[in-house]
Amino acid sequence: MTERIARILDYLNQREYRKLRQEKPEGFVRATCVKEQVKVFKEIVDSEKPLLFLEDTLGFNRYTGCVMPQAEGNLTPNYARVIQKGFDAIVEEIKVSMQKTEDPEKLAYGQGMLGYIELCLNLVEKYQELAKQECPKLYEALLKVPHKGAETFYEACVFMKMCIYFLRLCGVTHLTLGRFDQYMYPFYQRDKAAGKSDEEILELIEEFFISINYDSDLYHGVQQGDNGQSMVLGGFDKDGSSMYNALSKLCMQASLELSVIDPKINLRVGKNTPDEVYEYATLLTKQGLGFPQYCNDDVVVPGLIKLGYAPEDAFDYTVAACWEYIVPNCGADYPNITTMDFPHLVYDVMKENLLDCDSFEELMALTEAAIGKECDRLTEEYNHTQVLPQAFLSIFMDGCIESLTDLWAGGTKYNNFGCHGAGIANGADALAAVKKIVFEDKAVTKEELLSALDADFEGYAKVRNLLKSCPKMGNNEDEVDDIAAKMMDAFQKGINHRDNQHGGIWRAGTGSAMEYLWKGEQCPATADGRGAGEPYSSSFSPSLDVKTDGLLSVIQSFTKYDMTHIINGGPLTIEIHDTVLRNEMGVKKTAQLVKQFILLGGHQLQLNAINRDRLLDAQDHPEKYPNLIVRVWGWSGYFNELDVAYQNHIIRRLEYLV
Amino acid sequence: MQGIVFSVEEFSVYDGPGIRTTVFLKGCPLRCSWCHNPEGQSYLPEIVKSPNGCIGCGACIRTGFTRESIGACPKNLLRICGERITSDDLVKKLLKNRNILNNGGGVTFSGGEPLTQPEFLFDCLSKLEGRLHRAIQTCGYCEEELFQEALKHTDYVLYDLKLMDDALHQKYTGVSNQKILCNFGLLAKSGTDFVTRIPLIPGVTDTEENLGAIAQLLKEYKVSAVEVLPYNKMAGGKYAMVGRSYTPAFDETAEITPRQELFERFGIQVRIL
Repeated sequence: MTERIARILDYLNQREYRKLRQEKPEGFVRATCVKEQVKVFKEIVDSEKPLLFLEDTLGFNRYTGCVMPQAEGNLTPNYARVIQKGFDAIVEEIKVSMQKTEDPEKLAYGQGMLGYIELCLNLVEKYQELAKQECPKLYEALLKVPHKGAETFYEACVFMKMCIYFLRLCGVTHLTLGRFDQYMYPFYQRDKAAGKSDEEILELIEEFFISINYDSDLYHGVQQGDNGQSMVLGGFDKDGSSMYNALSKLCMQASLELSVIDPKINLRVGKNTPDEVYEYATLLTKQGLGFPQYCNDDVVVPGLIKLGYAPEDAFDYTVAACWEYIVPNCGADYPNITTMDFPHLVYDVMKENLLDCDSFEELMALTEAAIGKECDRLTEEYNHTQVLPQAFLSIFMDGCIESLTDLWAGGTKYNNFGCHGAGIANGADALAAVKKIVFEDKAVTKEELLSALDADFEGYAKVRNLLKSCPKMGNNEDEVDDIAAKMMDAFQKGINHRDNQHGGIWRAGTGSAMEYLWKGEQCPATADGRGAGEPYSSSFSPSLDVKTDGLLSVIQSFTKYDMTHIINGGPLTIEIHDTVLRNEMGVKKTAQLVKQFILLGGHQLQLNAINRDRLLDAQDHPEKYPNLIVRVWGWSGYFNELDVAYQNHIIRRLEYLV
Repeated sequence: MQGIVFSVEEFSVYDGPGIRTTVFLKGCPLRCSWCHNPEGQSYLPEIVKSPNGCIGCGACIRTGFTRESIGACPKNLLRICGERITSDDLVKKLLKNRNILNNGGGVTFSGGEPLTQPEFLFDCLSKLEGRLHRAIQTCGYCEEELFQEALKHTDYVLYDLKLMDDALHQKYTGVSNQKILCNFGLLAKSGTDFVTRIPLIPGVTDTEENLGAIAQLLKEYKVSAVEVLPYNKMAGGKYAMVGRSYTPAFDETAEITPRQELFERFGIQVRIL
């Protein structure tokens, strides 16, 4: 990195700039109609003033520290269209659409869109004034963007930063960056043709990456860092050609050099990804930030097509805030609307039916039926979900301007719902344990098992140890992996393709988000030996406290099921000790391991290089580790800024890591 | 046939080419002062306790650190180190991952010292022939005939050389290096693929005299590369697990000097692991 970037990075990491923020009382109301929303937006924009940080040439930083009323949005807007056209052309498009209709609702909606853009332009004007004094480079760019489309890579970065800033002011919680290496590539090519070097473009990318970290503390979901700024790089197109280009590499390099939380890198790979790409990505893993997260095109694309996505959209897929597979630009999917809680469901089935079951097959059949019923219940409950309109975000979504219809009301091509599947490993382990201990070995009676669960194993240490010694998911043992497959099959058959009453369908996934803690807290002791209230495994991973045979067995267990059927997202998460990556040999072999996972048909992999001793030390001496970053579930955050429950879960995942 | 195995480690990165699973056989004739696998030294199964996650409830002590204690630990931290396993079961377990291992990797038998359980080792190696790439990691301390036999059953050898001076070798490892050097000669002439490895122990093996002598030996045998393993400051970490204290006979805080130039002057490539 250049000396200038090093200075800016240091400025970011010192966090002193946050003291510049003017604190404003909260009190922005959560308006429900577009007209009112524009009024609130005006108040917010009025409270903001232009602010340039150290050697800042992008601007659009938050002036106040107030948090907006949150609005839904875990999707990838079509930045490319907006930054290529510019707001003037978009205003024209909106006006044309308004001329074609007399529907007062649509007209009001169009008026709302125009209102938003006008307010944005007002603030841009103030930036122009400031930039004229302080940053001629930015001033010059602002003479063109956002009125006109960007032409250079720099102008595109300024426009992007502006879009992110204004979308954030509208309260969009999880704003993903999508395929930055694809939609920014034309600007890159133009700059290269004009004689710019890769080093100059890298510096711009690095400044842009740093700039989207400045205010990330204001936009947290469940925990700080959970802000959705994921970026997708690489991938293959429908002809099988690699889309991993020079810009993809520069983005990886920027992430590697900066070691900051955002953007969270997702790398699209497939059977034809060359070893060098995996090896370079492994260097990024070595940084310990928890990215890249790998996405397997060979599984995801066919999976999305099976769900009804048009092939051209499926090939263009991106990743939502964490790991939900979505399509950019024309997809207003709600990929994390609810969660199937497998361990609790398995518990309920046992509690109600175990005494009457004469065979394990009977219990398994009842479990599968219960999963189907739970799909009925979840879909009925969430089909009634009402989402507030978002006229500004809709400007960025294909189809909304033409139809003057909100993205959540059918303005876009896709309005699907995604359902997470939490604790699959715990659920499968519990069933496998009952199969062995109760039905096969008859070492514990049904009554005894239920009493042990009721007592949270108090006085039943022996039963618990027997349960814990049974086959577990992650050891490449068909007995338990087959049970997991049956559960996933019941889930996907029960929920995929169901009508969501919002013009879309439902999709099944393997993610848990924060539910591995939240639902775990509510769940009684389960037959895998997990105590009452204890967490589940995070997403699609072996249960906590399970000592597996090792990474090869884990990978095999979690790639057995045909993952194209359950593609809402949710990664296998594995930790490797950071000493494995201490030299080139370790890096190469880790890269090979990832490649094997992809070749075996894994859909998503989150690989974390981690050092348990360092995390424990950071708990005792947080002051020594102000910038220690860890992967939490679908995102990375500063270790010190996490609740202790999340810190402990991460540490506990590592107990068997030597 | 049964053997005593104290660990089967998947994805062991530094035990031979490619993605490998390493099988650790229990028992070792050497007592290296820097040994980081103390649980591999004794030939017999023993009960060990993982230090991570202990809540100090005392259940293991109350049950006398016996087999019974394993079930009594609420955190499941106790285990028997050195389970008896049949060659058939072990081979079956290894082959479960053959789809991954057969992409340039394989299996490595290490220890302890794998050649201290020769019948079991050869039985496993024979059963794996043609199915998985087989390596052994050895200190080379065994009879010549046994070593010749081992070479027949293996595709690759990771061979440790520690100290060229016999007196020092006896002082730091407990045994003479005569057999080791003799077997190394056999290996070098055998045509079997191998790599030489040297543990770099500060002030003990990393002296100019010792590394210079090893380099000279490698040159004589026309060896083109060597792997050096810097002393692991965590080496003492597992002694508590087996109820022993770690008392290295050297200053473990001293700097290590790899002295690559001693090898490179003979055109021998040095890889630091």
